[in-house]
Amino acid sequence: MENFRTLKFLDFFKPIFEKMGVDYHVMRKILQVKMMMDRRRVPTIFNQNRNKQKKESNQFFKSLWLYAFFGLSIIPFMVMGENYIFQMSIAYSIVMFIVMTSMISDFSSVLLDLRDKNILGTKPIHTRTISAAKIVHVSIYLFFITASLIGIPAVIALIKQGFPFFLLFILGILFLNLFILVFTALLYLAILKFFDGERLKDIINYVQIILSISIIVGYQLAFRSFEFMDTINNYELTSQWWQLLIPPLWFGAPFELVLHGNWNVFIVILTVLSLVIPIAFLLLYIKLMPAFERNLIKLTQQQVGNKKERKNKNNWFVNLICQTKEEKCFYRFANTMMKNEREFKLKVYPSLGFSLIFPFIMFFNELRVSTFTELVASKWFLSIYFTFLMIPTIIMMLRYSGKYKGAWIYKTTPIQDQAAIYKGTLKAFLVKLFLPIFLIVGVIFTLIFKVQVIPHLIIALLSAFLFTIISFMVMSKSLPFSQSIKMVQQQGESGKIFLLFIPNAILFGLHYVSTLVSYGIYVYMIVLLVVNYFLWGNKRIFNPTKSLQRT
Amino acid sequence: MVQNEQPIISLKDLTISFDNKMILKAINLDVYKGQIIGYIGPNGAGKSTTVKIMLGLVEGYHGQVQIFGQDISNGNVDYKKRIGYVPETAELYDNLTASEYLTFVGELYGMDYEKVEEKAQKLMKIFGLEDVFHNRLSSFSKGMRQKVLIISSLLHNPDLLFLDEPLSGLDANSVIVVKEVLAQLAAQGKTIFYSSHIMEVVEKISNRIILLSNGNIVADGSFAELKEQNKEGTLEEIFNQLTGFNKHQAIAEEFVSIVQEV
Repeated sequence: MENFRTLKFLDFFKPIFEKMGVDYHVMRKILQVKMMMDRRRVPTIFNQNRNKQKKESNQFFKSLWLYAFFGLSIIPFMVMGENYIFQMSIAYSIVMFIVMTSMISDFSSVLLDLRDKNILGTKPIHTRTISAAKIVHVSIYLFFITASLIGIPAVIALIKQGFPFFLLFILGILFLNLFILVFTALLYLAILKFFDGERLKDIINYVQIILSISIIVGYQLAFRSFEFMDTINNYELTSQWWQLLIPPLWFGAPFELVLHGNWNVFIVILTVLSLVIPIAFLLLYIKLMPAFERNLIKLTQQQVGNKKERKNKNNWFVNLICQTKEEKCFYRFANTMMKNEREFKLKVYPSLGFSLIFPFIMFFNELRVSTFTELVASKWFLSIYFTFLMIPTIIMMLRYSGKYKGAWIYKTTPIQDQAAIYKGTLKAFLVKLFLPIFLIVGVIFTLIFKVQVIPHLIIALLSAFLFTIISFMVMSKSLPFSQSIKMVQQQGESGKIFLLFIPNAILFGLHYVSTLVSYGIYVYMIVLLVVNYFLWGNKRIFNPTKSLQRT
Repeated sequence: MVQNEQPIISLKDLTISFDNKMILKAINLDVYKGQIIGYIGPNGAGKSTTVKIMLGLVEGYHGQVQIFGQDISNGNVDYKKRIGYVPETAELYDNLTASEYLTFVGELYGMDYEKVEEKAQKLMKIFGLEDVFHNRLSSFSKGMRQKVLIISSLLHNPDLLFLDEPLSGLDANSVIVVKEVLAQLAAQGKTIFYSSHIMEVVEKISNRIILLSNGNIVADGSFAELKEQNKEGTLEEIFNQLTGFNKHQAIAEEFVSIVQEV
């Protein structure tokens, strides 16, 4: 076992821990093992390009570069202008958002590790030592994340705004981190108190998804943050009571108080909150710690009986879109798998997010050069084709699952019609994942472009169905949810996703051309209907390739 | 059984409730050196809870728990140094290798790194796992994990063993080895507290059987004694009788009849 540099640094504080009654030697041992396990894990922030997992280097430390990059986005808020409370509140909100989401997505496992109880709890170690190890463990990571996040901005602030500002900033960050750490723990405590562990895992999963999406959006914002500065400099605080509930404002207030000498009551209250709340939460947490540990047990328990029995009320819908019994069966199966499997959701939902956002990013860019009326009259509704971006990705992902070992049921059950497996799954994907996104974009587009856009939306939807078939044909066929989700990078299918931009562009082009001819769109609509009818009805397309039948 | 020595485990009026439901109802139990206790009972009878209380994993009980003559509620965790534990759910830090995990556990029990590693390696070899000593536990089969857990519970040569379904997932040959190991350990004065649902094993392995039902001890004695009191042939039958379960035939009939409706 190797000796981590961090731990060597920690050795300096040995006397302090020992004074608190912590068995330092054992705590260090636990931390060492914990850190070793951590480096074998990939943080969510790296989720986009997890490859070459075999090499054992600390993924976490590599991810710090990304944090440093995101940290750049707060620089403008710190150096430009004098409206401290607003600038700093925004800077702190960015820090808080990034730190809190990474905390929840990657370090929940530390706070919520049940194995600790069974493995460490049964050994001759005092509870105080175990708790200390837990807190130090999280704090170490929290330290690295924040340090890389604010490192560069802090240095720039020191040069530009002087030492008092710098000092306030660092102090603010310390209290903010304390707040985040304790707040997250209390949040879990509350969730565990009222719900069962499954719900908590769902919540953590959604936070991971949000983090993945915001990383991409963050890239965009990081470069544009300078543009917001004008608006911010002219903003004024209106002293509403509800503003007291916004944590970043608390941490922005001390700057106003100390550097501008603004002793306004409201500012003073905010400043006091920034000091008192983190400490109060900490005390509360220490007090509730035993309750927390007790409720942790719930993580393994499913609440029995209070889940509503769901009648299959959309049976008619399944009957409508699936013809055979087997197809219906796989439709339902894929439906529940996509809904319940967390690892699958983590991989797939971010791309749903992009599909939802991209059409709008496209025309917000357009809005900078043209007016809104011009936009409404234009053919920018065609940007809905950007929602198709998710289709190849997800069709590729459908074969993966964290629980891929369950796929033996495909082999041991007498499935007559292999085509039904794929057909049912693809339909479930379209209904469950694609349609909701398409509908949201569609409704907003109808509001913007008015009713005449509806035929175009129908064409786009038919094109999406066609594109789904095309993507499916291009990808190599593999039974749904039958391969390890860790294999995603090794299959060489990802290249095909880029290849599939071409048919997407062609469909887009055809639609555009059809708008140039009168009644062109209606003719095109009928053509698409017919093509779809034949392709979806063609069994050969869905039948598995020979190599698959052999295995 | 009359014992003059001090009990290894002594429970006095041990009571605990969760969510207003009484799990253990004033249990009294003394366990002596060298005994192999077969601790049995239906699901939810409170078996695991009893073990977890004794290991200090569950707090908030009433009554007194003494282990090695020491009251465990006094906050001193030193008594755990002499305890080995195999949990029911095969929980371990599975992104560690077997070697890393075992040395870590040994060190937590206060052993020297080199000493544990050597010992762990030897024990792994006996179980036929020397080739995977440096592989991650996540790649281990259920039986292999169980062997690692058994080794991890014995590394520090404990005087008291708590085993919760220790044989699950093991193949027949390993089962025989482990059973023999337990018998020899008991012969050398170790105390073993063994819970299981497999009555045949409990019947053969234990020299004292304790049956827990609805939070009460309903039977306590050697297999021979239980047989005499209850006039039943196997431990399974005694178990059914004492837990008031006699509907197995009716239940099975209903089950089969539902299976036959296609």
